[in-house]
Amino acid sequence: MTWLVWRQHRVQVYLGAALLAAFAILIVITGMQVGNQYHAAQAACAAGHGCRQLGGLFLGSHAVGFLIISTLGAPALVGLFVGAPMVAAEAEAGTTQFAWMQSVTRKRWLTVKIGWMLLAAAIWGGVISALVTWWEGPNNAVQLDAFDPGRFDIMGVVPVAYSLFAVALGIAAGALLRRVLPAIAVTLAGFIAVRASVAVWLRPHYLSAVTVFYKVTAGFTPPGSYWQIAQGVLGPNGQQLAQPNSTNYVDGVSASYLPASCTQVSRGAFTPPPSCTGALSHFQAFLTYQPADRYWTFQGIESGIFLVLAAALIAVTAVTLLRRDA
Amino acid sequence: MIPMHEVPGNAVPGPAAIETTELTKRYGKVTALSNCTVSVPEGRICALIGPNGAGKTTLLRLLAGLSRPTAGQVTVNGTTPRQDPAFLADIGYLAQEIPLYRRLSAEDHVRAGAHLNPRWDAESVRERLTALKIPLDRAVGKLSGGQRAQVALALILAKRPRLLLLDEPVAALDPLARRNFLGLLADGVAAGGLTVVLSSHLVADLERVCDHLIMLASSRVQLCGDIEDLLAEHQLLIGPSKDTTAIERSQRVVQVTRTPRQTTLLVRLNGPVADPAFQASDVSLEELVLAYMGQQSMGQDALPALTHLSTVGEEK
Repeated sequence: MTWLVWRQHRVQVYLGAALLAAFAILIVITGMQVGNQYHAAQAACAAGHGCRQLGGLFLGSHAVGFLIISTLGAPALVGLFVGAPMVAAEAEAGTTQFAWMQSVTRKRWLTVKIGWMLLAAAIWGGVISALVTWWEGPNNAVQLDAFDPGRFDIMGVVPVAYSLFAVALGIAAGALLRRVLPAIAVTLAGFIAVRASVAVWLRPHYLSAVTVFYKVTAGFTPPGSYWQIAQGVLGPNGQQLAQPNSTNYVDGVSASYLPASCTQVSRGAFTPPPSCTGALSHFQAFLTYQPADRYWTFQGIESGIFLVLAAALIAVTAVTLLRRDA
Repeated sequence: MIPMHEVPGNAVPGPAAIETTELTKRYGKVTALSNCTVSVPEGRICALIGPNGAGKTTLLRLLAGLSRPTAGQVTVNGTTPRQDPAFLADIGYLAQEIPLYRRLSAEDHVRAGAHLNPRWDAESVRERLTALKIPLDRAVGKLSGGQRAQVALALILAKRPRLLLLDEPVAALDPLARRNFLGLLADGVAAGGLTVVLSSHLVADLERVCDHLIMLASSRVQLCGDIEDLLAEHQLLIGPSKDTTAIERSQRVVQVTRTPRQTTLLVRLNGPVADPAFQASDVSLEELVLAYMGQQSMGQDALPALTHLSTVGEEK
């Protein structure tokens, strides 16, 4: 069975391996440049005076940065071009009737095929994620944004889980629809819908977020790459204030709530007069966030969700193909 | 040479390769096969005949285990068709669409078969295709339809099955290739251990090699049995154009053809024909098949080409 799977899909394997190799070469070369840039900046910072952090520095070229961000879509590719055709292409061409009339049960056919597809998907997602994670190391250290949506999704272990989910979704869609193009369309739509829903509605709630209240004059920044979920300012009576909609604000508080003495400050670089600091002391700010040390817990929970979904889709495929008439 | 009806018609039938009881298959509201009870003894070449949409493919797929019956029983090689390597190894099923991987070559298919089957005669495929001048290394999708059919047939034989189920296997072949292939089947059966069920519209071809017949029409079995027995049970009665109710009362009339001068009856005999005005003669397989098909088609809109000279009698 493995021989047939290999013979059928070796072109895809060669193509996938070539893409991965090209990506790896690009990432390794530019990644070493990024590393050098980072170390040079660190050294310059250490030599300079009063340089506490390298915030705001962008490392690497924008072209490679764009390629890195576009790996958000990489797991979908394996679902569209490997998963969706697996059953659908054979059903469309009628070759299931060849495969299923050899001395191999449908169960074994399915097990071997799905096994290799899952392995391929895991390698695809894993290699891309490993390269991206390594390349982004210095940037993460500078920007402290590895936990942010969009960046969390392309690093660590979640790309592997997304790839496994994508391929399982493609296989299930193909088994149910038995046509390649509809299966590809459903896979794409389903993948985007599920990924977006989980990222937007579920991920912020894996663990209840931490909310910290602090004086606006004191300010507060959690350590490391935390994920900011909400932020705001509370007025003297505890009511939440609208976000300042002009540039006219002090410490996040809109000038309209403050005495005139503050307004002058906001336009200059002077130390605020006591009347202003006195007024500001009645304002409180809050920050709701997921602390940086939960990063791997969140990676694990998100991966678990997609692995469970992948397993469910494979069960659907098995039931469809083994119970239904060929 | 192609052997003609080597199995004696009246021999005691061996164990059945195929046995179905009240087999029914429905797809939603459409009944593809209804209460089909047939049996094919081992070592026969069975013709599966019927108009388009009669349920031939449905029956073959049920026998191969590719689909499951809605009701009734199937027994193939002594067991119910199931997903089991031993069962599958004994069945060779070739679908009408000739399913092959278009981008793979015949040689790839031969190797795949070697990996997927316990018995596999790879050399027989290579020899046969070489003899037929079909390139082994070309993608199967680039071969002609007839060549593709030859590849698929060679592969199905390489599996060395005990039961071959072939759905219109010779439709794509030229007359000579058809004759050669049917000869090959007959040789395979004569060598022992092989039973064949073969659907086709080419009655002349089937007549040459088959010794058993299943005839389906409108998803029901019309005839099933040894061809010699079936031919012996039917007779053509030719007589004057007169009232035939007496014969219709004693015999089962399949078809009546009336011209102003004479009446021709195709009857299934229940006993000797008493009326001396009628001359009895043997029927050919083609006449028999057409009579039963014509009887069916009258149920719906009769095709003019089939019936413009004939009036078809009611089945009693």
